[in-house]
Amino acid sequence: MNQELLEKLSECVEFGKINLASPYPPQMKGMPGADEITKEALEAGVTPGEILNEALISAMNKVGQKFSENKIFVPQMLLSAKAMSASMIHLKPFFANGSVKRKGIFIIGTVFGDLHDIGKNLFSMMVEGAGWEVIDLGIDVKIEKFVEAVQQNPNAVVGISALLTTTMVHMKPVIEAIKSAVPETKVIVGGAPLSAEFAASIGADGYGKNPQEGILWLDKISA
Amino acid sequence: MENKINNSNLSSPLGARGSMTHKERFLATIANQPVDRPASWLGLPVPAAVPGLLEYFKVNSIDELKIKLDDDIYPIEVPYNFPPSNHIACAFKFAKVSHDDKPDERTLTAPGFFEDIDDPTLVDTFPWPDPALYLDVEASRRLAMAANPDYVRMGVMWSAHFQDACAAFGMEKALMVMLMNPDMFTAVIDRITEFYLKANELFYEATKGYLDAVLIGNDFGSQNGLMVDPDSLRTYVFPGTKKLIDQAKRYGLKVIHHSCGSIYPIIQDLIELGVDSIHPIQALAADMDAQTLKKGFAGKTSFCGGVDAQHLLVNGKPNEITAKVHELKQLFPTGLIISPSHEAILPDIPPANVEAMFNAINS
Repeated sequence: MNQELLEKLSECVEFGKINLASPYPPQMKGMPGADEITKEALEAGVTPGEILNEALISAMNKVGQKFSENKIFVPQMLLSAKAMSASMIHLKPFFANGSVKRKGIFIIGTVFGDLHDIGKNLFSMMVEGAGWEVIDLGIDVKIEKFVEAVQQNPNAVVGISALLTTTMVHMKPVIEAIKSAVPETKVIVGGAPLSAEFAASIGADGYGKNPQEGILWLDKISA
Repeated sequence: MENKINNSNLSSPLGARGSMTHKERFLATIANQPVDRPASWLGLPVPAAVPGLLEYFKVNSIDELKIKLDDDIYPIEVPYNFPPSNHIACAFKFAKVSHDDKPDERTLTAPGFFEDIDDPTLVDTFPWPDPALYLDVEASRRLAMAANPDYVRMGVMWSAHFQDACAAFGMEKALMVMLMNPDMFTAVIDRITEFYLKANELFYEATKGYLDAVLIGNDFGSQNGLMVDPDSLRTYVFPGTKKLIDQAKRYGLKVIHHSCGSIYPIIQDLIELGVDSIHPIQALAADMDAQTLKKGFAGKTSFCGGVDAQHLLVNGKPNEITAKVHELKQLFPTGLIISPSHEAILPDIPPANVEAMFNAINS
C-alpha cells in the first residue's frame, strides 16, 4: 500500500499532476494529484523521509534526465516542479522540526549586471527537487549580497548564472569575494555562453551545461 | 535616427565591391542561386558598442561603417513614440513590477497582468494599446525613403507575440497556462498578434515601395534545445507566426525569422510557414552549427548568421574569424547571409574581429 502511494506520487511529479483539480496531464484528469496523495501517504504512515527520497527526488531526477535529453521541455518541467511543491508543502513541518533532513543549502542568483533568470529559476527548481534547501537571491545580485548570504550560511553551496558574454566576466570577482569570506565554499556556475574551461579559469568548482549536470555535480560533492 | 546612406561619399577599403548589387546578392542568396560573394549583415550594434566601432574604423556613424564594411542589409527600426523606451518591443506594460523598460531588459519572468486571470473572457480587462496612437507613420515613410534603394531595406518589426504572451503572465506561469488552460493562453496571444498585425499594416502601408524585407521573431531556443515542445509551438504559437508572415508576403516583403538558441526541430516548420531566411543560427547552440544545418536544410531555405558571437567573435583572434568565414563560404557558397550569430553587437566584440569578418566575406 505504502509503496503503491509512493509510486503514484512519483508518477504525479514526473508527469506534472499537481492536484485533483488540475486538468494536466490529460490522461490523469480527474485523478488525485501530488497534493492529495502526499496527504494520504502521511496519514497512511509513510514517513516524510520516504516521501522525499523515494518519490520526489527520484521523480525529479527522471524529469531532469528527460529535460536534458529534450524529451520534455520547460512547460512540462515547470508543472513537475509545481507538483513537487504541492507535495513539499506537507513536508515543511518535518523540515522545520528536523525530522527530515535536506542535503544542504544552495544559494543562487544571477551575476551582477545580468537580468536573465529563466535558466536560474529552472535550475533552482531542480535543485530543490533534488533535496536541497534553496535560497534564491534573485537577479543582478551584487557581490556583497552573495558574501552576506554565505556568511549567514557557511556550509552552503553557491550557484551563479549569466546569459551574456558581457556579464559572465563578472563571475570571477564574485567567486573571489565568496572564497575570501568563506574559503571552503563550493561554487558552481552556469549559463548559455559558459564552458567548463571558462568555469575553471575563474575559479569555479563546478559547471553545469544543463540542470541535470549541475544536479549530478551537487550530488557528487554532497555524497 | 534618419538614414543618410549615400554610397558615393565613402570608399570601401575592405575589398573590391562585387558585381552584384546588395539587393541582387541578397535575393540570390535566399533563393540559393549563385552569388558574386556572400551576402552579409553587420547586425545591430548596441549603443555601448558604437563608440569603439566608430573610433576603430574612423567613421562618424554606423551608416558610414556599413558603407565601409559593404554589408547588404539596411535595418529600419519602427518609429514608435511610447516613452521611455520608444520601442515597439516595449509596447505592452504587462509587468507588475517596475523595470528599466528597454528592449533588452523586458521582464519575461516577472509576474504579469494576467498572472491570476484564468477566464479568457476577461482578456480585454488589459488596456491593449492602439498602435495607431504611437506608431509614427510619417517618420516610417521618411526613414524608408531615405534609405539607399540599392540596399535590402529591412523593417525591424520583431512582432514577438510568443515572448509578449510570456510577459503577459510571467513566463513560468504562461508556459504552464499554455498546457493547463490553453483557451486563456490563446486569448492573450491572439490579442497580441492582432496588435502586431495592425502595427505592421500601418508600417507596411507607409513604407510601400521602399521596403524589401522584414525581421520578425521570437526566441524559442535555449543553448541545448527548444524551450517549448514543437507540438505546443505548432498549436499555440505558429498560427500567429503564419498570419504575420502572410501579411508581410502580401506586401511583397521577404521574411527573415529570428530565434535565438537551438531550434533545429522546428526549422522545417519555419520553412513551411513561408520564412525566407532563418536568423541567427546560433553557432554554439545544439545542432545549430553550419555543417549540421547544411546537411539538414541546404537548398531548402536560407540562413542568416553563423559567426559565433558567444565565444569566437568575443575571444578569438582575427585570423580565427577569417578561418571561420572561409569555412562558412565553403559550406554555403550561397544560401547564407554571413552575420554574427546574434544581431546585437555587444561592446565586448573587438572591432578588429568585425573587420576580419568583413575582410574575409568580401575577399
